[in-house]
Amino acid sequence: MFKSVCFVLKENFTNIYRIFSIARYELLADMRDSRLGLFWNFANPAIQVFTYWFVFGIGLRGGKPVNGIEFIDWMLAGLLVWFFISKCVTEGVNAIYSKVNVITKMKFPVSILPATIVVKELFNHFCMIAIIVTTFLIRGYDFSMSWFGIFYYTFCAAALSIAFSMCTSVLNMFTRDVKKMVNSCIRLLMYVSPILWNMDKLDQLWIRRLLKVNPLYYIVEGYRDCFFYHRGFFTYPHRIIGFWAVTIGLFILGSWLMYRFKHKFIDMI
Amino acid sequence: MTNEYAVTFNHVSKIYKLKQKGKAQKTSHDTFLALNDISFKIKPGEVVGVLGTNGSGKSTLSVILAGISAIDSGEVIINGEQALIAINTGLNNQLTGLENIHLKGALLGLSKKRIQEITDGVISFAELGDFLYQPVKKYSSGMKSRLGFSISIFLNPDIVIIDEALSVGDKGFAEKCLNKMDELKAQGKTIFFISHALPQVRRFCNTGLWIEGGKLRAYGDIQDIADQYAEYVDFLNAMGGKEKKRFLEDIYESRLIKDPHEHLIDRIFLQMRKGAK
Repeated sequence: MFKSVCFVLKENFTNIYRIFSIARYELLADMRDSRLGLFWNFANPAIQVFTYWFVFGIGLRGGKPVNGIEFIDWMLAGLLVWFFISKCVTEGVNAIYSKVNVITKMKFPVSILPATIVVKELFNHFCMIAIIVTTFLIRGYDFSMSWFGIFYYTFCAAALSIAFSMCTSVLNMFTRDVKKMVNSCIRLLMYVSPILWNMDKLDQLWIRRLLKVNPLYYIVEGYRDCFFYHRGFFTYPHRIIGFWAVTIGLFILGSWLMYRFKHKFIDMI
Repeated sequence: MTNEYAVTFNHVSKIYKLKQKGKAQKTSHDTFLALNDISFKIKPGEVVGVLGTNGSGKSTLSVILAGISAIDSGEVIINGEQALIAINTGLNNQLTGLENIHLKGALLGLSKKRIQEITDGVISFAELGDFLYQPVKKYSSGMKSRLGFSISIFLNPDIVIIDEALSVGDKGFAEKCLNKMDELKAQGKTIFFISHALPQVRRFCNTGLWIEGGKLRAYGDIQDIADQYAEYVDFLNAMGGKEKKRFLEDIYESRLIKDPHEHLIDRIFLQMRKGAK
């Protein structure tokens, strides 16, 4: 167990240049694919934001604010991180399978593949953060030092995504059903996280408790904390412990799977 | 003691599990011996020509040599860094030739400095001209292979494995590749050359390794092995269609290992089918 975690960490850290190069050129290839290139990376989220705002903000809530924050702003902070995580999760499942022609033809450190996906998405995410921050400044929120806290929460999101993709990408090599399952469940994951609706209004305490077990709860609320509420990292120590316990647990499981099957991938296709 | 040899194979076997054809058609889970009890020793600096008809296990041998695939029994000892020359792997159609050099270099695990060092060499070797700045999707297949081969050949491994790489590209480029490989040979690299082109193998290699039906048929001086292999190919070709088919099926059958433990579900299916009749 310990050996496999060391192995995966070592493989990732000795191949940092490889990870960044692969991410960079994949991003470049994606952009070349369509005429408008980078434009779609932002137009697509913008259209989704408009849809959700229309349905949830105007339609269901009638434009009422959430805890003193305008719904559109409250939702933007949540969607900002959701776009990052959902992309990482759905593409992370396919991380190894999409590189089959590479891993069958050369000696390749397979365990770096989930990280390449996350690094690639991080680039989009940082662009998105810049856009959202500008939007908030224009809408009249005062800049505060606590805004820098989102870098910590971005790190959390990246760590969770890598750990989760480690598990799913290996399992996806056994059967492609895993990919279908993850893609089907991603919408469910969105609605059990406090992204489009506020969970504090739920009457049943036990449902609320159950929903807070979700590690995404910690990240999404963290982003909002930094932007609007300025409460600092250590307001909810049990959430920190819970989140990192889940993330590290997933990472250990993923590393073990990677290590156990690293020579078997080529025969699984 | 082991350092005397670059590559040592000790009773190596590799098994593939076969998928069942259709439901309840086959009642046992068969396994297929891709490689069967292969043993040989290769000294550093030897140039080994690997011969064998289609499906005899050459490619399986090459991925095992490259350290990509794990074996099921036996022992493989390899001294030195090995690399499989994979031509079309890792090229991205959307990117230009130059970007692909960087990408494939990174995929192969080269450092940034090393990639910059080899870039000029790769460019001149691949002879792409102005196409260097065009996306690879615009390339002809020969050009693509030239680019891929050029990047791979500039790696600096101790053991080079070349799997039917030179059947692509025109004659001039094949000649150039052979010259480059002679250069590698002169540097004392161990080379495994997997090819059907007997004249090339005879010219280039000094040891022959002939695999047939997953088994090592012969191993020794290249000229002898090539003669034996040529004789075998002629013998196969001389056979009539039906005869040849039976001969090849016999070889195939001998590589199958039937699983004596039939699965419960299969047994039930079998019973049901018997009952239905």
